[in-house]
This record gives sequence, structure tokens and C-alpha cells, in this order.
Amino acid sequence: MATTCTVSITSDIAPGFGGISESMTLTQAGTVTDIDSTTGFQVRKLRSTSTVDLVTMANELVEPKDSVAAKIYIRNIGDGNGNIDKSVGVTIGVNAEPLGKLFGGDWMMAPLTCIDADDVTVTPDNDNAVVLEYIMFYEEA
Amino acid sequence: MATTTAAVTLSSDLMSANISVSASSTLMKAGTTADGLDQMDYGVIEIPTGDQYDLICTTPTASKATKLYVKNHSTDETYYVKIMIDAQDIGRLYAGDWMFIPADFHDANADIEITSIGGTNTIEYALFHEGTTLIAS
Repeated sequence: MATTCTVSITSDIAPGFGGISESMTLTQAGTVTDIDSTTGFQVRKLRSTSTVDLVTMANELVEPKDSVAAKIYIRNIGDGNGNIDKSVGVTIGVNAEPLGKLFGGDWMMAPLTCIDADDVTVTPDNDNAVVLEYIMFYEEA
Repeated sequence: MATTTAAVTLSSDLMSANISVSASSTLMKAGTTADGLDQMDYGVIEIPTGDQYDLICTTPTASKATKLYVKNHSTDETYYVKIMIDAQDIGRLYAGDWMFIPADFHDANADIEITSIGGTNTIEYALFHEGTTLIAS
């Protein structure tokens, strides 16, 4: 029951930068045991600039364990019809603290505390339709 | 135009239908479709236990399209670092874990803060950004 994630970053900003290529196996906190729970792959369409919860920790059907090794993957896939605008984005936050903005096509992989107050919030730049796909991996409480 | 590309492949067999996701993104400056991020900070540091440190201060790029990569290169699975932004606990990176997030440094307090737990953690980080607020010496 393994979950793996690989990142590859290439850049010509610095001529000597050899790039980054790393893989991780998602494990439970402090062990080499594979992480065992997930929200499953989900898609959320947004149509306003209101801030809403992408993940409400207290509402998960299976209570996530707090302050361990949870991770979330999120990607802005544009309007859901194949149109990806890289000039507008969605601000991703945790417990009302903005992390940063995912512009069209951008993705992120972040650790989470899964504490009830630390919901994952999203705030689109404008009222145009934007779709986020996401999946959270966590340990069962 | 500088070109920086970040690609991810995620696979999991936790469900009966295996998950396999691949995505790639060219990192552009905020609000543009034709101009890529053109500055970067890259390093490896050892974080001792005991205090919370600023991994990245807010000066690089406020409210832009900055992306931050952090990897914990520790090999002891009980070691981890806590990642915080503006005193908000974001999560933990255990030995071998990495993260890649947007980081807009929206105000003067929005540093990326890091605390080492278990022992000294070796951290690799790369910040891809535009513009820098230089501090006069």
C-alpha cells in the first residue's frame, strides 16, 4: 500500500543549477510504515472570489490524526474545459493564513497538520470558473 | 525568458483503483503568460534543534508567484522539521519528505519558519521568484 511522489525541477535561471529530482514515499509519522488513509482524488469548481474551505478537517468522514505526516496535492487545472489561464490564480491558505497563489496549471504538494482549525482554504482571483483537483493523504486518528 | 519547469508524478495503491497523477508547470511571473520567474535562491543548511529559524525571510518577493521547494534530507525516520508561516503551523516534513508550494510573502511577518525536532535536520531549499528587495548594508 505505497504512495509515492516524485518532483522534477529544471531551470536555466542559474547556468550551474543541475536541477532537482527527488522521490518520497509517504509514510506515517516517525516510522517507515506507509501512510494509510486518503480523501481520494477530488475536483472542486469555484465561481466566486469568496474564500471557501477546500478541506474542512472536522468534516472528514474519517478523523485525521493531528500533527503527524499528512500531505496534500492541489492543482489548478483552469476552467475545467481545457482552458488554462496562467495569469489568474487561486490563493491557497491554511487556517486563514495565505500560503501563496496557484496560477493556472500550477501544482503544489504541502504538509498539513490536520488540526480541526487548520482547514485548507481557497480564494480565487475572480468570478470566472476555476477548477482545483486535490487529494489528501493522512493517518487515521 | 528564463524557463523553470516543475513536474510531479503521484501514485498510490490505497484505493482499489490505483491513483496516478502527473502534472507539469512552467513557473511564470505573477499575472503574466509570457515571462518566466527569473531569480532563485538555492541552498543546503543544517537546522539544529532548540530554536525556530527563518528559512526564508519576506524580503524576496511580496505577493508574487514565488514557489518554494524544501526537502528534509535526514535519514532517521523519527527526525522532522515543523514548517510555519507567520506563526501558523503548516505541517511537518519527516526524513525524506519534500514539499513544493506557492509562497507569496504577503506581509512582513510571512516568513517561512522552520523548527528541527529529534536532531539536526539537513534541509535543501530552492526559492524561485521575481524581484528582490535588497537591504542596504
